[in-house]
Amino acid sequence: MGRIVLEKVTKKFGEVEVIPPLDLTIEDGEFAVFVGPSGCGKSTLLRLIAGLEEVTSGEVKIDDATVTEVPPSKRGLAMVFQSYALYPHMTVRKNIAFPLRMEKMPQSEIDAKVDMAAKSLNLTDYLDRKPGQLSGGQRQRVAIGRAIVRQPEAFLFDEPLSNLDAALRVGMRLEISELHQRLETTMIYVTHDQVEAMTMADKIVVLQAGVIEQVGSPLELYERPQNRFVAGFIGSPKMNLIEGEAAKKRGAQTMGMRPEHIAVSTEAGEFKGTVGVAEHLGSDTFLHVHIDGIEEHVTVRQRGNVNFKYGDTVYLTPEEANVHKFGADGLRID
Amino acid sequence: MANRTIPRLLQTPAVVLLLFWMLVPLSMTLFFSFIRYVLNNLRRPEWTSPSIENWRGFGNYQYVWNQDSFWLAIQNSILIVTSILFLTVILGVAIAVLINRSFPGLGIVRVLLISPFFVMPAVNAVLWINMILDPVLGLQGIAVNGINEIIAGLRSAPVVGGFFSLWPEFEPISFRATQTSAYAVIMMVTWQWTPFAVLIFMTSLQSEDQQQKEAATLDGAGRWNQFRFLTLPHLGRPIAIVVMIQAIFHLSLYAEIEIVSRGNGNKNLPYYIGELVNNNIGAASATGIFAVILANIVAIFLLRMVGKTLME
Repeated sequence: MGRIVLEKVTKKFGEVEVIPPLDLTIEDGEFAVFVGPSGCGKSTLLRLIAGLEEVTSGEVKIDDATVTEVPPSKRGLAMVFQSYALYPHMTVRKNIAFPLRMEKMPQSEIDAKVDMAAKSLNLTDYLDRKPGQLSGGQRQRVAIGRAIVRQPEAFLFDEPLSNLDAALRVGMRLEISELHQRLETTMIYVTHDQVEAMTMADKIVVLQAGVIEQVGSPLELYERPQNRFVAGFIGSPKMNLIEGEAAKKRGAQTMGMRPEHIAVSTEAGEFKGTVGVAEHLGSDTFLHVHIDGIEEHVTVRQRGNVNFKYGDTVYLTPEEANVHKFGADGLRID
Repeated sequence: MANRTIPRLLQTPAVVLLLFWMLVPLSMTLFFSFIRYVLNNLRRPEWTSPSIENWRGFGNYQYVWNQDSFWLAIQNSILIVTSILFLTVILGVAIAVLINRSFPGLGIVRVLLISPFFVMPAVNAVLWINMILDPVLGLQGIAVNGINEIIAGLRSAPVVGGFFSLWPEFEPISFRATQTSAYAVIMMVTWQWTPFAVLIFMTSLQSEDQQQKEAATLDGAGRWNQFRFLTLPHLGRPIAIVVMIQAIFHLSLYAEIEIVSRGNGNKNLPYYIGELVNNNIGAASATGIFAVILANIVAIFLLRMVGKTLME
């Protein structure tokens, strides 16, 4: 069981309030991702749940028991850190065994559990090495191994993949997702990378300046962003957000269109522009189009290979059904 | 390989200078240790100049080896050095861990902690032996006197008087005596060198990974276990450095021994050599060679021990 509830939680560092009152529920077995730009308070929130930071006011509950005053070690949570935080003087075996050793578990039981964890993480051949002799991905797996041997109520991941290179990151992303499917334990995952959030999460929590902007499944967030910030943050390439005449005509302060929801024509359309850069990915082509009177370029996604080059004049027309409209307060208008 | 010639040529002056610097004194000592060489001898004036004709073989070594005072000096050297190392490392780690957090006045506390290290060894010894450890005029004498007076006063007190009348009168300890002079030296040098250990451990503690500690907190490790399994291994290398440097320095202690007991108390090896140098240069040189061997043994032994226990 691992249902985590935050009730009116706030956090102040001195006079600075980094998290204004915040309510959040993470259901048992859920994979929740906290995502937001750096400095948005997502790591602080995770540390509040872990107990590494004390809440200024409000309550943290795990399985309906209030743990606000409970020390981190007694909360039954395991955490994987960005820097892995492995113990450099111990072998992989001792690293993984450390939490069990602290519980004063009998040695035979410890050995059995460590061997099992090592097996499931493909670490059996490295058990007698020290962290310094491992690659980044292997270190990350050791950190995960140290977390799973304890059979915690929930796993907390603090940007675990940001120190890995791009190829490894994709691999580890899959491994963590699979681990979640296998263990069916609650996981809370902090990242600034919205691709990780979209691909892994059951529930995404978008944060900005300590405030929850929106909570929902990845597709909910993609299809119905509740405000301008979420619209601009979720999705890659980013949603095109346009202000001015075109938005006013639709009764909004800002209009947003996803790159794939824009039709391109060489003859006629709502916006006339010139192609800046055409990025050919093979499966898709991204056109960056400069439109007169709009400061930022508009990104358009075209399937397959499309033959446009620098300086070509194109006409763009958004698909009306998929236009997102936001009012002066930044909130969505339906 | 030809392109290495120029770098080697350029290194040569430094290497030659260093070799000269080390080899000349060492070979002179070796030479003196194998000949009869004294500063003053009316019966055999030929021994007063160093010459190969006065060759004595291992005679000087044999002479020194058979002196009880030589073995006493070695014992004393080892006692003094190991005690100082033990105390400074333990005190150093304790103090460094204690001040490795922020509190008001941290800057002043750190400066005060380091300051004993800037006192000259001779001054340090004079201050300790005269102002602190002196049995009459020093702090020790005054404190023991004070305690005795309080006890004497309490003897006539109503209820507890009977209890205190059983107490003996305390005697101040004289640290200039043969047996106790080594303790005085250990105390004053520990006081002076603990700051050195603190300084090195403090910088090392500041480079300790905080996330590792947080991970250990979540893994259920309390403060002691975090100290035992994270901080202490992290300090392994600096402890080895402190032990090595101090071992080298303290094997050659001289000023403190001289000031505390003027040779009446327990001598250490350098002091013993110093006394021989007053006349018998040959024996002094032989003792010097013994000292070099001892220093190497101590260094190797200590490094092994520290390395094994802490680095796992």
